[in-house]
Amino acid sequence: MRLTAAEERMLDGGDGPAKQKAMSGLVQLGRAFDAPRMVEIGYAHIHAGMALYLHDVELMEDLATMGARMAVPSSVNIANADTVNWRATGAPESLARLQQRAAGAQHQMGAACTFTCTPYWAGHWPTWNTHMTSIESTVTIFCNSVLGARSNRDGFFAVYAGITGRYPLFGYHLDENRRGTHLVRVDTPLRSVTDYSALGFHVGRIVGEGVPVFEGFTERPSLDALDALGAALATSGGVALFIVPGVTPPYATTAQAFAGGRVPEQAVDAKRADLDAVYDYFCTRDDGVFDIVHVGCPHASFEEMKDYARLIDGKRVADGMEFWITTSRAVRRMAEEAGIIRTLEASGAKVISDTCPISCHFARTVSPDPKLGVVPPPLRSIVVDSAKQAKYVRDMIRCDTLLTGTAEAIETAMTGRFVRNGRAA
Amino acid sequence: MKPPITGRAIVEGQASGPALFASEAISFLGDVDINTGQVVGDLPSVHGMSVKGTVLVFPYSRGSAGAWRFLYQLFKHGNHPVAIVTRDPPDPSVVQGAILAGIPIVSDIPDAAWGNMQNGQMLSVDGTAGQVTPQDDAPISSPPQPEDQR
Repeated sequence: MRLTAAEERMLDGGDGPAKQKAMSGLVQLGRAFDAPRMVEIGYAHIHAGMALYLHDVELMEDLATMGARMAVPSSVNIANADTVNWRATGAPESLARLQQRAAGAQHQMGAACTFTCTPYWAGHWPTWNTHMTSIESTVTIFCNSVLGARSNRDGFFAVYAGITGRYPLFGYHLDENRRGTHLVRVDTPLRSVTDYSALGFHVGRIVGEGVPVFEGFTERPSLDALDALGAALATSGGVALFIVPGVTPPYATTAQAFAGGRVPEQAVDAKRADLDAVYDYFCTRDDGVFDIVHVGCPHASFEEMKDYARLIDGKRVADGMEFWITTSRAVRRMAEEAGIIRTLEASGAKVISDTCPISCHFARTVSPDPKLGVVPPPLRSIVVDSAKQAKYVRDMIRCDTLLTGTAEAIETAMTGRFVRNGRAA
Repeated sequence: MKPPITGRAIVEGQASGPALFASEAISFLGDVDINTGQVVGDLPSVHGMSVKGTVLVFPYSRGSAGAWRFLYQLFKHGNHPVAIVTRDPPDPSVVQGAILAGIPIVSDIPDAAWGNMQNGQMLSVDGTAGQVTPQDDAPISSPPQPEDQR
């Protein structure tokens, strides 16, 4: 791998032990994937330090102590606890305190403590051709597909990239990998953001790690719809980039999205029955028994917070029902100032930031440090409006799910009876 | 000692252990229990076996951006494989987890050698040189190579 003088100095320890450790890891990663050189990045979405995992917070503290500082604008991914309002989720104080320690390390390193999987709603908005890195697959696919930035699906090394301002040149940083591999023909009107989530889950299962190119939307998808589509594609498949011609930079037409303009003759079909099949797949428990209704995966935007308030429309959450709305602390603050949080909370909803059900209930499958005293909650089933949340609730916290549209999920919370997708009043 | 099998150096370092050979793709997110090291996923060839202390051999990794975390957690719980050998290069996230945990990886093992690997066979893995060396007389073979490629 060819390194610049500045990169060689980092590798040799001339810029301190943190940059040396980070550059050494990045060089190994680059060699493994035949990267010819590093690129300068403009943005990093990094690890939160997950309090539930053994010695995970120390990973961030150690780097901060070694003198690591973020060389580029950086945001921080979702955490294992609402670091302000942890009691609302049933988390013990010990867990919240440990998560707060991670925030201390982030502050020391100069990363913005966004604690969200949707940092773009908090102002981190990389632009066309910005090389970047992200530990969160939802951020990777949104930034690649909606903003035209260049990101791989990274893990912990997003932190190393942030510290050095460098990333090895491979994968979705290269033009040749940013071309369509599958044509998808959408053959049904999409009625809700959750329909985009179901569409993404359906298509991700078929295209795997490919790059799907979408045709047939009857209108330009909203930013929230594009967010939901990407999150689901990145969950059922390993998709890092999707292309909607006219939306995804720089592709104006379907032909441009495929190398040499060669549009595949065979298309992946997405019909109403395919979306219905995704809803059915995630309704794993049909006896109407559930403990939490959850919306806000990925973390809700300000627009979605407004939607929730409109859909609640002065009603009250049914007795004995938990209704969770998850969002970032930045959006929460804006919604607070707009009077939206007051409206939501007046219904009995819990507005939770920094975390979400799949992040704060991992205790079921991860072995947290016994000293934390984390007890897995006795959950039977969770009602969700996101295929991503559904998949990880089912597979990682091993809990049943009921997937439905946002309006239906809110009606479920207000009536206490599960409302299937498409049946909202 | 048998001659080394030459593959591709992915993560540097050296380690030896008995081979645990999975014929299916592995996802570190969900297929292996970090508390016990046991394979709990739907992998008939190795289901119920422990990856702890083994040279874990599998064809390729199934994608998840969270794979690094579970490999690192296996290491923190002391239940990690000492080395990994794959047919195809593993996902970037697996590579990142292995670098964090100090687990050497060699990939791109030639097909002829792949077919002969067996459970329990002692393997030495050199992730810096990109070589896997069988430590006993178990039937593992390296394809003949012209001198100039050695």
